[in-house]
Amino acid sequence: MKENVYYYRREDKQYPKRMEHYKGMPKKIYVKGILPDEQLPTAAIVGARMCSPYGRQQAYTYAKLLARHGVQVISGMALGVDSYAHEGALDGGGKTFAVLGCGVDICYPAQNRSLYARIQKQGGILSELALGTKPLAHHFPMRNRIISALSDLVLVVEAKEKSGSLITADFALEQGKTVLALPGRVDDELSKGCNRLIAQGAGVAYSVESVLNELDMEYILKRGICKKSKISIATVKDLVYSCVDLTPRDLHTIMEEVPYSAQEISKALLELQLEGKVWEPFKNYYVRSEVED
Amino acid sequence: MFSSVLSAAIYGVEAVLVRVEADVSDGLPCFAMVGYVSSQVKEAQDRVRTALRNTNLALPPKRITINLAPADLRKDGSWFDLPVAAAVLGAMGKIPGNSMENTMVAGELGLNGAIQSVSGILPMVLKAKEIGCTKCIIPKGNENEGKVVAGIQIIAVDSLSQFIAFCNMKEPLATEPELQINIETSQADYDVDFADVHGQEAVKRAALIAAAGFHNLLMIGPPGTGKTMIAKRIPTILPMMAQQEQLEVTRIYSVAGLLPEGAALLTRRPFRAPHHTISPQALAGGGRVPQPGEVTLAHRGVLFLDELPEMGKRSMEVLRQPLEEREITVSRLYGTARFPATTMLVGAMNPCACGYYPDLNKCCCTPTSLNSYAGKISQPLLDRLDLCVEVPAISYRDLRKNKESPMNSQQMRQAVEKALDIQKERYRSLDICFNSEITGADLNEFCVLDVGAQKLLEQIFDKMGLSARAYHRILKTARTIADLAGSEVIQKEHLSEAVCYRSPDKNFWRI
Repeated sequence: MKENVYYYRREDKQYPKRMEHYKGMPKKIYVKGILPDEQLPTAAIVGARMCSPYGRQQAYTYAKLLARHGVQVISGMALGVDSYAHEGALDGGGKTFAVLGCGVDICYPAQNRSLYARIQKQGGILSELALGTKPLAHHFPMRNRIISALSDLVLVVEAKEKSGSLITADFALEQGKTVLALPGRVDDELSKGCNRLIAQGAGVAYSVESVLNELDMEYILKRGICKKSKISIATVKDLVYSCVDLTPRDLHTIMEEVPYSAQEISKALLELQLEGKVWEPFKNYYVRSEVED
Repeated sequence: MFSSVLSAAIYGVEAVLVRVEADVSDGLPCFAMVGYVSSQVKEAQDRVRTALRNTNLALPPKRITINLAPADLRKDGSWFDLPVAAAVLGAMGKIPGNSMENTMVAGELGLNGAIQSVSGILPMVLKAKEIGCTKCIIPKGNENEGKVVAGIQIIAVDSLSQFIAFCNMKEPLATEPELQINIETSQADYDVDFADVHGQEAVKRAALIAAAGFHNLLMIGPPGTGKTMIAKRIPTILPMMAQQEQLEVTRIYSVAGLLPEGAALLTRRPFRAPHHTISPQALAGGGRVPQPGEVTLAHRGVLFLDELPEMGKRSMEVLRQPLEEREITVSRLYGTARFPATTMLVGAMNPCACGYYPDLNKCCCTPTSLNSYAGKISQPLLDRLDLCVEVPAISYRDLRKNKESPMNSQQMRQAVEKALDIQKERYRSLDICFNSEITGADLNEFCVLDVGAQKLLEQIFDKMGLSARAYHRILKTARTIADLAGSEVIQKEHLSEAVCYRSPDKNFWRI
């Protein structure tokens, strides 16, 4: 066996209890790191790989705050929502687990190398596939059933109408788990899958509390007193900030709406960026970043 | 009898003196050409023979030997016809032996004795002047080009008979000597103007900054938003070319044979927009004998590369050296040449393969394809693009609105010229002209930041994880912005604007 990799057969007592009841669960499971704690509440956060800054932020924030409440976060370590969910959980100091569609010794996608290393220290990498198994397309829908089986609820952050995340939601429903979806605007392609889930009866994840309530937990973190997203300093900065939205806006639009020179606007944007109130997801596109705690 | 005539071969953009010697002597009748000549030059013998016969001067049945000295230098080009004919005529005694003294001759012959225009006249006339020739005999079609050079007599001839008549002093000089062609120093007129561009204020501003410091510029935006339109207008806001610059540019176009017919000096800055399938050789310069490539043809002007990621990797990498050194050395089969390449590179690209990122409702790319698209531009090339700006899709409102007329090219050029005057003054003691050319050591000397800006830069450096290279680029751009504002030190707002226009790092496209 490779360094730090263990595998548990179904008959072993370490085999996750959560997986025992369901049909179609693998005979053995490989772990690099540790297995999820049986006693702790566990939530899966899944979503689109090609996510919007909105999805990115929400995935991160939800995972971070859930982790702070001691909730374990499970996801698939894909690009996009999955990665940000893991990152959020890690930054929140909680445990997080990634279920892969390849052998646990392979880091896929390769860009996530640092995340792969961090997850091993603060949780574990899981897979039903033997070491060295290549990440083939048909492995991925299969691993979703493990993600849902291991968690108490599944939160879908962003999904198009035909999305792999919906497969996870389907598995979750079959297994009798709670499914929550993050609502989005109706004209947003990336929220159509989520909105449809809600229409079909999924819970609405309108705040972290709503998710915690589903887990029979309460929000215990201190909140800033009425944190209004308004800065009462310079007017240009104020105007620019109110112009920047949760969906990325380009410099050109901001320049049109704020009646100041390019220099002053770019100065305001830069200051906002340095303060962490705004970030630039793409060249000259700006988006608000929610400052939580 | 022996006779010799001066002419020139072209190497790179330089003319090299060639002496065309002819000897007519008794022996088996033949016409032999020696002196490392290309087949183009060798063909001269048939044209010369026929042209002479059609001018009622049949060659005698004698042994005619032509030598082009120096014999170790390869001669290429079609302008050796007239010098060969002149040398033969001299050797035959049809024109006086002294008529070809201190005279440079070039021209192509037609079979009927007509003299056709050729390429490379400007560097030849400049060479003639340099070595102390008193006159140049050139084709009529190249008259304006030749007369650009002051202080040398230009004799333009359009037929062999006219040439012979001139040599025998039968015909007075067709034109008055020392006539300087009237060079329009006032305005080079462009048929495009920045006033045509509606909206896109941020991009126009970036173009202005790029022009003011001669920075390379990258534009990122979806298809059909005016990237090409804006690039085409950048030469119109660059300052007028000085006469020396005009000479440099004209010389290149003369050598490449791209001068418009009857043109004298080129006064417009060049704008070259090669297709993205261009080969490395076409971009850098190539051919068996080195010919200027697109980077050289864009000397003192703009080289616009649309669809940058679609370009071949090798072609793209070729640009690295000329962008840094401002010249390019091309080594080919028949020689090595150095071409000037002071160009402003303007690149344009879509944000992703489908063109719509970051609009996720329209974009159908995967994170992987997004990264691989951006990854096609190598980091060393990105490092040379000082400014980068996003060109958003244009709204109907922008297209229709007439509320205020946008800045036109002339206003923008005035701003650029003002900034350039400041730079000229600053770099007087150095051999650079623009902010974009400042190198590491001089950076701290010339890019002085005020206290606020210094603090800001420190913050940016830590928070945004800048590389040392990005830091240099931001400083250079900030210097130009400060110059545009007429400020001696770089202030906070100059710096922040420069940061706004910084070029993306490799991981910029990260989802």
